[in-house]
Amino acid sequence: MTPHERPAATDGRREARRLAAGIVAAGMLLTGTAAWAAARVDANTEQRLLESQTRQAASVLTSAVQLIERPLGTALSVQRVAAPSDRTKAFRRFMVSFVGPDKMFVGASLWQRRGDTVEPIASTGEAPAVSLDDPATRSYVLRAFEHTTPTAEQLRIGDRARIAWAQADPVTGYAVYAERAIPADRRAPVDTNSAYADLHYAIYLGREVTPEALTTTDVPPATLPLDGDTARDEIRFGDTVLTLVTSPRVHLGSSLSRWLPTWLLLGGLLATLVGAGTAHRLARARRSAEDDATTITELYQQVDALYGQQRDLFERLQRALLPSAMPTLPQAEFASRYVAGARGIDIGGDWYSVVALDEHRFGFVVGDVSGRGVDTVAVMAQARFTVRAYLLDGHGPAAVLERCSHQFDIEADGHLTTVLVGVGDARTGELILANAGHPAPMLVNGVVEPVSVPPGRPLGIGPATYAETTVQVPAGATLFCFTDGLVERRGEDIDAGTARLAATLRTAAAKSPEEMVAHAVASLRRADTADDIAALALRWTGAY
Amino acid sequence: MAAFTTSLDGGVAVVRISGELDIASHGELLAHTEPLLRSDAKVVALDVADVTFIDSSGLGALVRLQQQAVDAGRSLRLRNPPRPVTRILSLTGLADLFPTDTDQ
Repeated sequence: MTPHERPAATDGRREARRLAAGIVAAGMLLTGTAAWAAARVDANTEQRLLESQTRQAASVLTSAVQLIERPLGTALSVQRVAAPSDRTKAFRRFMVSFVGPDKMFVGASLWQRRGDTVEPIASTGEAPAVSLDDPATRSYVLRAFEHTTPTAEQLRIGDRARIAWAQADPVTGYAVYAERAIPADRRAPVDTNSAYADLHYAIYLGREVTPEALTTTDVPPATLPLDGDTARDEIRFGDTVLTLVTSPRVHLGSSLSRWLPTWLLLGGLLATLVGAGTAHRLARARRSAEDDATTITELYQQVDALYGQQRDLFERLQRALLPSAMPTLPQAEFASRYVAGARGIDIGGDWYSVVALDEHRFGFVVGDVSGRGVDTVAVMAQARFTVRAYLLDGHGPAAVLERCSHQFDIEADGHLTTVLVGVGDARTGELILANAGHPAPMLVNGVVEPVSVPPGRPLGIGPATYAETTVQVPAGATLFCFTDGLVERRGEDIDAGTARLAATLRTAAAKSPEEMVAHAVASLRRADTADDIAALALRWTGAY
Repeated sequence: MAAFTTSLDGGVAVVRISGELDIASHGELLAHTEPLLRSDAKVVALDVADVTFIDSSGLGALVRLQQQAVDAGRSLRLRNPPRPVTRILSLTGLADLFPTDTDQ
């Protein structure tokens, strides 16, 4: 990882984390809202069900109370029809089915009003919790004459509790007093009824929900009052009320309704976490892919730049090996051009060279080493300096090539080299040429024609001999030497390329050598060629 | 691009070449033909009837094969060279290096 990539990668991780955090937040919110709504619905349903069951329980309790109170009223009715001598007997006979252990009442007594007070005249069952002679008891029974319904109150004997009833009949002046035991476990007889199956309950005498007022309950009294969701109802009880307080013992609604909030919560959290994790991974992966794409693009650009640099380097190397300045001779003008192939990275082995031999004579060379690349340029450099050295030693063109043919071996370096060597005399316009497999030069002089220079073998094949051709160049005429890159085209006869060059040079015959070279190269070089081109033009100005 | 097929015609190993013999394919020409120069065939013929283009790298490969043939005591010949090939060979002073056969 290169240093400038690191911030992008960190950005990617941060972005992925932000996305995941967003999804978690949104998921939590949705989950929480859904679970809360479901819980609210469930709670409302529970409360409604609790209230409905409590009403049911209250009606069961009402029936029970009526069941308890009915014998008291009936006992008074019995007094209405009983003979005066038989009143106490009738009372006992009637009450026998209601009084006793495990019966409705533990004890009952019959009272008769006498003036402003009441007196007990008969008693049955267990001794009452209160003394019948107690004025408080008398006034309680007396108070019953003020009501058309029974009166009720709670009594305590130690830790035992009883409910005391009194009911009076103003017509006969009789009253009945009865005590009912509250079971030791404080369980109400009603709690076996199905209406109580799903409820905890506490029943208080009166409207106050206090431990003192508690009559019965199904829970340990110490844990009262009932907490959580509760419902409350009142049942008429004598001259007071029973307050029924309930709370659900179990979940009253469907189990779906009960567990839905939990499932929503757990499912939502799981989905949120999975979603966030997936999003995080995908975001990281996408960012990573983007980074990869960026890296590849950058690598490509680097390779492209390296390619350009290498090509540039090769071209500079090639140009460094070509003469930077032409020798200056009276009566002669020189122009030259080298262009690398338009396509591909490798440069070729084309070269040209002009060397002054003395004040009037000069040597010139155009050559082409087969292949492309650095080793081709190395062979080219060797060929160029070898030819130049032999020329400077005073050898004629044929002798130069013959000597060079000993120096190059395709077996050793893999290259074949074609060379055109010439020696010219600026005073006479006489040129001596020798050719090692190179394209023949063109003479531009009104007409344009190839100079016939019989080709000998290219360099690299082994020792060879070469013929020399002497050409007399008229004043103002131009000798145009070139490499095959200027004329060779795939799928075309080489002679067609040569003819195209001749036509191009004909249109440029009036131009300076410099312009002629530029025109020929610009006209004939193809944009898609991989081959390089070297061209050299020599013109006699004619004053000899 | 060039395609190479090798066959045996009597005691002559024939490499039929079609396409362009250039800097891209000259290595392939060497790879196909060099083993034949070490085989029992005394004569190796390169059928160049379908060669459409040949550049200096292609010429270089032909020259190398000819030199190897001479070193190995074999004979390397060209078969049915079309005009572009004979023209290049003559322009580059290589024509006399390759004995040539032409089918009827």
